Amino acid sequence: MQEKLNELISRAREEVAAVKTRPQFEAFKAAYVGPRGSLTALMKTLGQLPKEERPAAGRLINEAKQQVQAILDEALAAIERAELEARLGPPIDPTLPTPDPLPGNRHPITLVRDEICRILARLGFTVREGPEIETEYYCFDALCTPAEHPARDTQDTYYLPREVRFGNVSRKNPDERYLMRTHTSSVQIRTLLAEKPPVRILSPGRVFRRDTADATHSANFHQIEGLVVDRGITVCDLKATLDYLFQSLLGKEARTRFRPHYFGYTEPSFEVDFSAAHLKKLGREWVEIMGCGMVDPAVLEEVGLDPEEWSGFAFGLGVERIAMTLYGVEDIRNFYTNDVRFLRQFA
Amino acid sequence: MKISLNWLRRYIDLEASVDEIQRGLTLLGFEVEGIQQTGLSEMPGLVIGEILTREKHPNADRLSVCSVRIDASGEPQQIVCGAPNCDAGCKVVVATPGCVLPGNFKIKKSRIRGVESNGMMCSARELGLGDDHDGIITLDTGALPGTPAHEVLGDGDVIFDIEVTPNRPDALSHLGIARELAAWFDRPLQYPHTHFEAPAEDLAEAGHRLLEDVAVLADEACPLYTAHVIEGVKIAPSPRWLQEHLTAIGLRPINNVVDITNFVLHETGQPLHAFDAAKIRGRRLIIRHAENGEKIVTLDDKERTLSRNDLVIADAERALVVAGIMGGADAEVDDTTVDLVLEAAYFKPIGVRRTSRALGLSSDSSYRFERGVDPRGVLPAARRAIDLILEIAGGRVLGPVHIVGSEPVWEREIRLSPDFVRERLGFAIADEEQQALLGRLELDASRVEEDDDGRKTFVVSIPSWRSDLDRPIDLVEEILRVYGTDRIPATRPVAGAVVSEDDPIARYIRSANTALVGKGFLEVMNYTLRSAEEIATWSTAAACEELKIENPLAEDQSHLRVSLVPGLLDTIRFNQAHGNLDGLFFETGRTFREEGGEIYEMVSVAFAIAQPEDAAAWKRREAPDFYYAKRLVLELAALAGMNIRDDQFRLVDGDGPWQAGHAATVDGGKAGYEAALGLVDLALTRRLDIDGPVLAGSFSILPERLRGGSRIPRSRPVSAFPAASRDLALVCDEATPAATVHNALARAVRKAVNNAFDIEAIRLFDVYRGKGVEEGRKSLAFTMTFRAADRTLKDEEVARVFEAVQAAMEAAGFPVRR
Repeated sequence: MQEKLNELISRAREEVAAVKTRPQFEAFKAAYVGPRGSLTALMKTLGQLPKEERPAAGRLINEAKQQVQAILDEALAAIERAELEARLGPPIDPTLPTPDPLPGNRHPITLVRDEICRILARLGFTVREGPEIETEYYCFDALCTPAEHPARDTQDTYYLPREVRFGNVSRKNPDERYLMRTHTSSVQIRTLLAEKPPVRILSPGRVFRRDTADATHSANFHQIEGLVVDRGITVCDLKATLDYLFQSLLGKEARTRFRPHYFGYTEPSFEVDFSAAHLKKLGREWVEIMGCGMVDPAVLEEVGLDPEEWSGFAFGLGVERIAMTLYGVEDIRNFYTNDVRFLRQFA
Repeated sequence: MKISLNWLRRYIDLEASVDEIQRGLTLLGFEVEGIQQTGLSEMPGLVIGEILTREKHPNADRLSVCSVRIDASGEPQQIVCGAPNCDAGCKVVVATPGCVLPGNFKIKKSRIRGVESNGMMCSARELGLGDDHDGIITLDTGALPGTPAHEVLGDGDVIFDIEVTPNRPDALSHLGIARELAAWFDRPLQYPHTHFEAPAEDLAEAGHRLLEDVAVLADEACPLYTAHVIEGVKIAPSPRWLQEHLTAIGLRPINNVVDITNFVLHETGQPLHAFDAAKIRGRRLIIRHAENGEKIVTLDDKERTLSRNDLVIADAERALVVAGIMGGADAEVDDTTVDLVLEAAYFKPIGVRRTSRALGLSSDSSYRFERGVDPRGVLPAARRAIDLILEIAGGRVLGPVHIVGSEPVWEREIRLSPDFVRERLGFAIADEEQQALLGRLELDASRVEEDDDGRKTFVVSIPSWRSDLDRPIDLVEEILRVYGTDRIPATRPVAGAVVSEDDPIARYIRSANTALVGKGFLEVMNYTLRSAEEIATWSTAAACEELKIENPLAEDQSHLRVSLVPGLLDTIRFNQAHGNLDGLFFETGRTFREEGGEIYEMVSVAFAIAQPEDAAAWKRREAPDFYYAKRLVLELAALAGMNIRDDQFRLVDGDGPWQAGHAATVDGGKAGYEAALGLVDLALTRRLDIDGPVLAGSFSILPERLRGGSRIPRSRPVSAFPAASRDLALVCDEATPAATVHNALARAVRKAVNNAFDIEAIRLFDVYRGKGVEEGRKSLAFTMTFRAADRTLKDEEVARVFEAVQAAMEAAGFPVRR
């Protein structure tokens, strides 16, 4: 028995080398442990042995069976491994370029807008939105723009025909004209009429001027205006806020310079220049960047606030202008040409 | 506005350097747009030198060591120089140690590469005389070493080009700017003395022979008109000082009388006009509105056609001057003029502005009248001009002086609390300093009232030229201007945070942006104003009419955009034409929708995917199709809080911007949104020269429908028991939308289950056409998944439901495919 079993196992070890596929495996398996298999046949002879030999022979057969099973398991594992490898195909070349498109990215105007909003959010500012189509009241009257002011002229501002009606842009006076907003200060008026101070808001958005397009003018561009109305707001607070903005944006050594200026809706009013390390390399010390001031008492009165009790500041900056200064873009039209070679520079 | 430093020095003793003056002007609120230096102004320590010897620097190839004589008798000085032309024998300009060159460049004794250097020989650029920096200035001069450089390099002047804000017409003159600088540097201001007061007694009526009468027929536009008659002037070129002042600020000297009127304008800001008395017909001046169509040839030799809105100064027969703007050729002062009539008047800003704009004609005079001249400065300016005319051109003044109207009464006081100033500034300026700062601007704050609690109030009297000052806050600005905005202390911002969230629009746009960037899309920006053709294509003809701008500037930017997709097509076309391979673009922004004669502003997001036919790649990906666009639109809607059901998508089957049979639209109805997606009409993309089809989609919503995503979700336990599922294939007509079958199935399932357990999902997993399904029909296969929260479902209960569902679907006309 022992010899027969040894012979059987060594034959199985020889034959298994040729087993490469599942049908071969099934045939191989049947040849040993199938109903007609050689090991099965040997097992069947067990009954014919004398009683006293049976336990020893049974042990031997069991051992042989385990050995055969191990050979079978190994053969099956090898076949499965081969099948898996066949399914995976040849190895990849990790240096081949990905055929998938590059990641997306935001437009530089969005990047600058989001960055400024993010910085000022740390000082408690939240964003307010308003319509791009505005009315004379919210865009001019409430901001104390004189009736004769050139900004109102059809030379400078886009108007809609008198008969046009808007379903979701409210008018203060039934006969006032609709226009394309020239600044987002109109959002400040709508906010002050809708919310009670303290107010600490930013109004980013698209604005329109009737300008012939050139390197520094665009039919539409983007602004971010900020407004704070609270008790005891001072010029110092305004300066501190803008210093914080520019130092966050351009580095701790950035500085701002306030120059007295004139705007109809702030008093005192300032133009702001900033100075930062990267400008000195360009040979410029101060670059004009925005306008700001303390909210004019007349504007507070217009929205029903007592200027004795409340004060505030407002500032407005051009997003394109900041982006041009920050990134060294020379022509504002680049922002609207959408050339991928340009847009990808901000990824 | 051009301001000459030499001219300023007539009124103020300025020791400050050009840089300090520029800084002062800037911080006072007068932006200096340019500085032009003519000749060389006096700079201490800048002298003529003579190079005696030149030797090579021992340690540097490009440097020379020169011995330079810089005074008549003393020792020559050793100066290291890098210029190629510092040859022995040359006369040069030397900045000696201590001298401060433009740009605040201070010269010091130094060692350059180990060799002592006692000054610098200057290039033109270093002196602010131009851009030449190739070598040092060499002079052909007999001047001795040590001579101050400005004596050789000529009558220097510095011209500041200054921007004056519209609220400050009082600063539109040399005196006005001098007044500001006097405040900044705290120096006294010397107003010019005027001598003339009235015509001699014996000449009190003599002027009638030249000017009988002045009549103002439009006193609302001209509240004050004055005319002085001067006889016997001698017209000649102006003296040199006058010519130099005028040429310095870019004016051409004409003759002494005209030059004097220009000089006084730029000195005081009050425009004047001189008539040749002999040319005034009928010896009358009439200030009246023009006739419609009345013509005048102005001094620039152009014929102007006037209207009723325009004010003119006329004689008995014709218009001589467009009031406040420009004179006519007819009464011009020329070489033959002997007798003069000198006009000084106050014209209202609005009228001058309207006429100036209507005629497209502006002048130094109109610029000032438009902004408002000092009404109390009219007669003083006339007297100043008369002084100069009598002194320079001779003649004498004949009475009577015609004064029509009167100087307005001016009395303005502002009560200012010094505490208010400190409250608004946020830092302390002492009471006395506030008074002093105001005083420097001639705002007299010396009167102080004190209430019972000892609180002070300044009573500040405002001069007539500062009509822009009206309220206490205006004086806060004045105090701050003179105090110096650069002295506002730097503090840390106080974040008085308010409980408030970003506007839902901003949050929506941000999240849509993040979603699309994450899927590989590039953000672009196109203009809001688009062409009529585009609006007609992407909307209706009626909408095209409504969305027109009243005053477009360009023909292709005449309408409000209705969709962001056309802009994305432009982007694709542009980039394809430039060989850029990227094809995934998106834009966010406002669009406009016409409905029922009203326009609605919408918040929009749109994307487009270009699929050029020959996009080569070593490995092909399956191209995104309609269902990818649908997935994106569903996501954009979900971010807006809107859940679009499958059965809301309507197949596009007609003509339009979308390809029939391969695109869909969604109308959210009362929910206030709309969507469109699929293939852009192939004929349209071909017409636009776009290579290959474009898959696009857009989602727009009324801004007021956006609520922001602050809903707090409510959690429920999930079942621990296994699910049971059944598959079912249903046959329907080819044209029947899948959603119709799906909805019918969902209804049948709900009815059959009758809340006995949960319907976890009904999912369509196969669409089949072909063998076993009739021609013109299709089979839709669904998996239904059921589960109970509290037990394992029994086969029988699921089988019962499945039977009922099959029967119901058969009955509804959707046979079960077995």
